[in-house]
Amino acid sequence: MIEFENVSLNWDDRIIFRDLSFSVKPGEKVALVGESGSGKSTLLNLIPGFIPHFRGKIVVDGLILNATNVHAIRQKLAYVPQALQFTVFPTVKSLFFTPFSFVYNRKLKPDRKVVRMLFERFELSTDLLNRSVKEISGGQKQRILLAGALLLKRPVLLLDEPTSALNKEIKQAVADYILGLKDVTVIAATHDEYWMKKSDKILEIKNLHG
Amino acid sequence: MKGAVDIAWWMLASGYLLMFIPLAIFRYYRSGLEKATVWAVIRMTVQLLLVGLYLEYIFKWDSPLINFTWVFVMTIVASYTVIKRTGLRLRMFFVPVLLSTLASIVLIDYYFLGFVIGLKNIFTARYFIPITGMLLGNSLKNVIIALDSFFRRIDDEQITYRWELANGATRSEALLPFMRFALKKAFNPLIATTAIMGLISLPGMMTGQILGGSDPMVAVKYQIMILVVIFSSTSLNVWLTIIFSERVAFDGFDNLRREIFSGHR
Repeated sequence: MIEFENVSLNWDDRIIFRDLSFSVKPGEKVALVGESGSGKSTLLNLIPGFIPHFRGKIVVDGLILNATNVHAIRQKLAYVPQALQFTVFPTVKSLFFTPFSFVYNRKLKPDRKVVRMLFERFELSTDLLNRSVKEISGGQKQRILLAGALLLKRPVLLLDEPTSALNKEIKQAVADYILGLKDVTVIAATHDEYWMKKSDKILEIKNLHG
Repeated sequence: MKGAVDIAWWMLASGYLLMFIPLAIFRYYRSGLEKATVWAVIRMTVQLLLVGLYLEYIFKWDSPLINFTWVFVMTIVASYTVIKRTGLRLRMFFVPVLLSTLASIVLIDYYFLGFVIGLKNIFTARYFIPITGMLLGNSLKNVIIALDSFFRRIDDEQITYRWELANGATRSEALLPFMRFALKKAFNPLIATTAIMGLISLPGMMTGQILGGSDPMVAVKYQIMILVVIFSSTSLNVWLTIIFSERVAFDGFDNLRREIFSGHR
């Protein structure tokens, strides 16, 4: 369960959120929608504690978001941002396997067969793993990050425009797979109509303000 | 062997004529570098003459306390220069940079002067001051590059850093790729210059010793050791600077504080 209670956020004297309140049930699939700049990505970034200067209360699985609980909260999440950067990783392989090098995730490191199966589902070739991050397309990077996030087996997935760089057929395959996962809560900021249609709930940012 | 031929003051003045070459080039291309160049050369001259005067007395007194104070002052100036050049906030970074610089020179000086050279008193002015000066001067550039690339890269690639944190990384784990990047940036040039040493460049210390009348093989031994010592102290300094700076640069949620950059309001 994720709860926002009267969450307000100001940035450079600008009001981003005013008394935002909503809740997401375990396993629910939520599409966050709104115009560009309405705060969809900002809202996603609040949950892992990346913007700590908000007012109000955010609760993830019974834990109130604060400096003490933030690490425990992050361990319940898998997060896929818009795939714009990641150039500090020399190869796709190092990018893909980096989360599995963290102590908390070490036991989850997938074997080659599992990686190949998931890559095939997302229409990716495992040959990509040997390429440089700079050489692959935005859509390929996006699917690689999504595949990695799924293998972390977290109860909550936070996705920022997960299908924005994908073509129509792959978009649908990715949406069907992720939104078909039972027991996984998915919160996605999206403009994708198919994704919205397949989600359990659509939250429009402007309607959430108190 | 006798010492180097002294340069008469008026001949020293004539040496400055060589500066007309860069000034003419800068002027011809309207680079706007002329004023800064003249100012840099004036500063360099005054600073070195003052150092010459100071050193004459410091060598004469040879007091461990004065020698250490002198090195401490050099460390303060070096730390100030590092932070100013990286554009980081002086108030936040001065103590971590000063502490890491002091720690690295104390450790390396102690080993090199006390063990390798075998001095009974490592604070002997003739060794302690020039060797430490060389360590500081040579590590300065690398520390600036490392610190700057580390924090700028995290800021530029904030999405990557956050992606790691939100997928279960501790702060140290999330910073690993940025540490690797900063080390490569800072040490690739040093590795390259170390590898070609003696082939296309004769290092300053060795040249100075030979001019001063030392046996070339003694000068070479010192030079080899000094390059090793510089490499080692630079790496220690870079590593400690980043480790100590992390403590002030991140908030309780492990987010990079934007106010570490001096331009941020």
